[in-house]
Amino acid sequence: MEAVESRELQARNYLEKHRIMELLNHLTSVLLFIRPPKPREYLISLLERLRLAKATGIRFPFFMNNSNIVAMFDMMDPSGKGTISFAQYKEALKNLDLCTADEVLNDDGHIITLDKFRDEVVNTSKGMDAPNSYHTPYCTSTRLTTLSAQSASTTET
Amino acid sequence: MDATSAPHRIPAEMPQYGEANHIFELMQSMLEQLLIHQPQDPIPFMIEHLHRDNDHVPKIIILGPPASGKTTIAMWLCKHLNTNLLTRGTLLGKEFSSVAEEARKQYQRFKKVPDSLLIQLVQERLMEEDCVRRGWILDGIPQTREQVLMMQTLGLAPRHVIVLNAPDSVLIERNLGKRIDPVTREIYHTTFDWPREAEVQNRLLEPEGISEVETARKLLEYHRSIIRILPSYPRILKAISADQPCVDVFYQALTYVQTSHRSNAPFTPRVLLCGPMGSGKSLQAALLAQKYGLVNICCGQLLREAVEDQSKLSELIQSFFDKEMTVPDDIILKVLKGRLDRPDCVHKGWVLHGFPRDLDQAHMLASMGYSPNRVFFLNVPLDSILERLTLRRVDPVTGERRSPGVFPSPHF
Repeated sequence: MEAVESRELQARNYLEKHRIMELLNHLTSVLLFIRPPKPREYLISLLERLRLAKATGIRFPFFMNNSNIVAMFDMMDPSGKGTISFAQYKEALKNLDLCTADEVLNDDGHIITLDKFRDEVVNTSKGMDAPNSYHTPYCTSTRLTTLSAQSASTTET
Repeated sequence: MDATSAPHRIPAEMPQYGEANHIFELMQSMLEQLLIHQPQDPIPFMIEHLHRDNDHVPKIIILGPPASGKTTIAMWLCKHLNTNLLTRGTLLGKEFSSVAEEARKQYQRFKKVPDSLLIQLVQERLMEEDCVRRGWILDGIPQTREQVLMMQTLGLAPRHVIVLNAPDSVLIERNLGKRIDPVTREIYHTTFDWPREAEVQNRLLEPEGISEVETARKLLEYHRSIIRILPSYPRILKAISADQPCVDVFYQALTYVQTSHRSNAPFTPRVLLCGPMGSGKSLQAALLAQKYGLVNICCGQLLREAVEDQSKLSELIQSFFDKEMTVPDDIILKVLKGRLDRPDCVHKGWVLHGFPRDLDQAHMLASMGYSPNRVFFLNVPLDSILERLTLRRVDPVTGERRSPGVFPSPHF
């Protein structure tokens, strides 16, 4: 029995070490979002790009484009003031996995506007540690897909 | 309110695309391979796996007592599915392999090949290009539980396991008539499978070890080991009776091998029930909805509810009802769309009956994006329908319809 348990443990460790589940979730999310006519070929191209990103250290682009940032900001700012509080901003960055829970961001006392939010998101994601950073998109991608889907549907209705 | 905690409206194209392209199974098989091999570099491994595209290649094990026709079935399946056959004989006879050399020496000395060597041979063979590309059929291996365990640790797992069964007496008798063609290595039988060409008939040889005593001994050994092997393949096992003509066994085996097992993919049933009046559509729909938690949508009912709703459409529909004309398609579709778009339908799935009634309606349904993924046609002959409809009674208390004779009713 120990052999079985240790194999299972070994398998779990492997999954965690290489973050396989996040990778697979990311790939599935991309497939369902883009819906290419030939899923296998598209998957191969995605993985090739990932491999390249890992090898050369260039950041792999992920979903967060301008409309999504705007949508996210709007969701946090329902009354349409044009600003969000610092706590909301930190929460948003945490959701995007762009900062860890314990990281201390300087609260310079100013409120965060849309432009500032957008710049911060883009810069923080650019500034992330390149070679290992291909990990980060996976965790966020499922939330982003649903966010994008939601923003797409809200803009439609 | 946090956007991620509110219920998400996932566009319907996503699950439809996932179902149509079997994305779940694709990812599942990739994860299986990753866990079996645990490569240091997962991404190149995954790229290679996707290139190989061999998720649906046959991977079959055929087990059975001596004289059950294993080898014959294995050979026929092999030819039919265009895949590779692996038997002890072919594995042992392999050239250019040190493992095979070793195994042959052991066989010559002890008349038995040790399990580890045999499984090593199997592993070697399965890693070759043609087995990877076209699949494999293992005939008579594994023979013992130890061999099964060794195969499992090496990650060699079949997708279908066939076990042939027959009563011992039949097998002992059958084995007496076994003949082998030394040239093609095909197995023939004096009574059941006699070759047609005279030259093949002339060169057939009696194999050794087919006397009754021998066969009985082998059968005993087989029964002892098979009982320990079967529990290792819980969901992929199929037992086929070998006590029938070869062709029947072959067709049963072929149909089994070509069916894929029930997958764990997320599936929302979208069921369409078609059939003439009185075929029992409403009843079946109600039962299905109850059993699987689906939403039961009866088109007629839907329209009547729409009338009650006091919306703009209801007056329109009411006017058609009054004139006793069929409601036009686009109005029906609007009402249907409203119902099918509601979150309970999207999440739980639906059973639809009473619509579509003709080809145009079906096309319109498909074009709106509501294609069903299971369609049933309830086929009832005309006389039965007439009988059922004329004798149909409505229970005034519950509003249920019963046709006596089909459904004996307790109330009336």
